[in-house]
Amino acid sequence: MWSYIIRRLIYYVPVYLAVLLLVMAVLRVQDPVTMHLGKNATEERMADVRKEFGLDQPFLLQYAVFLKSTLTLDFSENSWDFPGVTVGSMIRRAIVPSLSITVPALILTTILSICVGMVSAYYRGRSIDKSLVFLAVLGMCVSLLAYIILGQYVGAYLIARDTGHQIFAIQGYEPGLKYWAHYCLLPVLISVIVAMGYDTRFYRAVMVEETGKDYIKTALAKGISKQRVMFVHMLKNAMIPIVTRVMITLPFLITGGIVMEMYFGIPGMGRALIVAVNSKDFPVIQAFTAVFAALFIITIILTDVLYALVDPRVRLS
Amino acid sequence: MIFNWKESRAARKFFRSRLSVAALIVISCYLAVAAVILVPEWYYKLRQKLDDKYQPPKNYGLVSLEASKGRVGTKNMPGLFLQPEPEQRLQRCERLLEIVDRALKKSNPQEALADIDFGTLKVAERPLPELRQLVDEGWQIFDSLAVVANLNEAPELQPKLKELEQVVNELYPPPTGRDAFWRNVEMLLGTDRQGRSIMLRAVYSIKVAVQIGVVTALVAVLFGALLGTAAGFFGGWVDHAVIWLYTTFSSIPNLVLLVLLAYMFTGTIWDGTLIPVYVAFSLTFWIGPCRVLRGETLKIKELEYVQAATAMGCGRFYIILRHILPNAAYLLLINFSLLFIGAIKSEVILSFLGLGVKDGPSWGIMISQSGSEVINGFFWQIGAATLFMFGLVLAFNIVSDALQDAFDPRHL
Repeated sequence: MWSYIIRRLIYYVPVYLAVLLLVMAVLRVQDPVTMHLGKNATEERMADVRKEFGLDQPFLLQYAVFLKSTLTLDFSENSWDFPGVTVGSMIRRAIVPSLSITVPALILTTILSICVGMVSAYYRGRSIDKSLVFLAVLGMCVSLLAYIILGQYVGAYLIARDTGHQIFAIQGYEPGLKYWAHYCLLPVLISVIVAMGYDTRFYRAVMVEETGKDYIKTALAKGISKQRVMFVHMLKNAMIPIVTRVMITLPFLITGGIVMEMYFGIPGMGRALIVAVNSKDFPVIQAFTAVFAALFIITIILTDVLYALVDPRVRLS
Repeated sequence: MIFNWKESRAARKFFRSRLSVAALIVISCYLAVAAVILVPEWYYKLRQKLDDKYQPPKNYGLVSLEASKGRVGTKNMPGLFLQPEPEQRLQRCERLLEIVDRALKKSNPQEALADIDFGTLKVAERPLPELRQLVDEGWQIFDSLAVVANLNEAPELQPKLKELEQVVNELYPPPTGRDAFWRNVEMLLGTDRQGRSIMLRAVYSIKVAVQIGVVTALVAVLFGALLGTAAGFFGGWVDHAVIWLYTTFSSIPNLVLLVLLAYMFTGTIWDGTLIPVYVAFSLTFWIGPCRVLRGETLKIKELEYVQAATAMGCGRFYIILRHILPNAAYLLLINFSLLFIGAIKSEVILSFLGLGVKDGPSWGIMISQSGSEVINGFFWQIGAATLFMFGLVLAFNIVSDALQDAFDPRHL
């Protein structure tokens, strides 16, 4: 097992190096200093900024410096937009709000859509199944943003107007588990609804495929109840495609997370990145994309390991 | 290559399903609308390029960019010719009166009056004193109505409101003939916060969506297929390089990569056109087709007919073109429709973040602008944009499912 994990880690080393290279190259297509200061800035001022952030150095040297600061997680550069604030402190502050949306959304989406997929497969061909599939397809055709706007209207505005209790906040964020439900539950629920359209259909197909297998027939012939077969025998065997699916869902959830953060005013990583892009805050964009990619790769490796745990055959390849 | 594709098993299976044929018809309707808008636009752009002094007419074709930007009425009017609440009707009258009043007070009233532009709705061509008298009459009725705080709760004042509306109707006579029909089209789905026609904006957005979808899906599929086939067929270092490349691209979360690539273009001459969107989407979406095509090529490469072709001494490029690509063509088709959906949906998000379409309307811009309207209980804009998008995305979903079923029924 350990050799497999180490092999996966080594595999992603050149990938991450290339990611950093790509990010840095894309950000330097246009001169970041001119973009931030505008065309009317004086030459000296531009040269000063360039010197301060090492942008006058050769590209390879900048790459080495950035690589070092990424590997040691030491982003001590100052943000251009918020003078005096280091990028590292921005990341530390933003990471918890981001995870408090993405992680619950991922867990809830997976559990709920597996359940719905199983219900759908259990009643295959009957009206419950047909209407669930129909709903899933319809749900896939509406934009994420429309879900967010209408979800905020219904969840935060209508409920408060009709019942008098502000269960969900319209916008904003406060740290602490106590406030989590007030600020983050609505975004999480919306992400779950959006992602379920895609996942339910897939899980249903997986379950339907599994029901045709011989081991199900054997189990049923032994006299095990249908529910037990569904939840114990089938679920275990369906784990392989489920783990793959979680990996596919992940980028969607991150996308959803960024849009949620923007719309609900949650000060997470995505919001910080978009704000930085809009104000052309170069060091922040560079560091945040690197961290985003690192987090993403770590999750990919985790799912790979999970995959190997579920299906021992994978380890040998 | 595939001359009798109509007789193939997959095509027969595809066309047997009535739903997928209906979806194809819907898609062609959308494409036709996009073409009708796009062709005159290209024509006038070309003429403008050839001749600097040439000014294209303001309204041309079905919907022009200018027409989708111009206001056609007062803000947030409901669609389907529904009557808004009395309070809003009063505000509408006030706004319309105010505009004429202000024009009359200018040094050159004739010109100012002609400048008032509400789409097909124009100020009546009457002598100035008559107009002034009408405006004064309107203000008098308005003043008598303004005594109550909320007109919605004062039913006894309704006849007065009707009177006021009649005065406004005399100032702005409802168009007749063909203009009347066009006016109905303009007002069919109401107006947004700036008084622009939601219908025209939604229809013009079809063009934007089709442009983005077709270009990015085509480029991404072709690029991905090229790399994927090469990787699968040649193996060795080509394979390693391609895998490394797509793992790199897919290691950056989708939206972060999109944002990064769109950012690359801010401030350049292409800012404001659709080119940043095309580049960002194409460079993000090629991974899917590349991965799939690589797998399929690896599979096909081992089949007997490819080995036979190799034994017969066929060239490698000949084998790719003649044997591998035609047998993997259905994957290109499926991926094209999937990417089309992906592009349209991502456009909404990118536009919301301020990095997508910048000049003119798009469904993304419409949906993100409607956020503040929804809180005020105005759903026409978000509804229209979502509905128009829904039709296209649903049709493509059905087609890609049907293609999947027809070509590869065992696939999950």
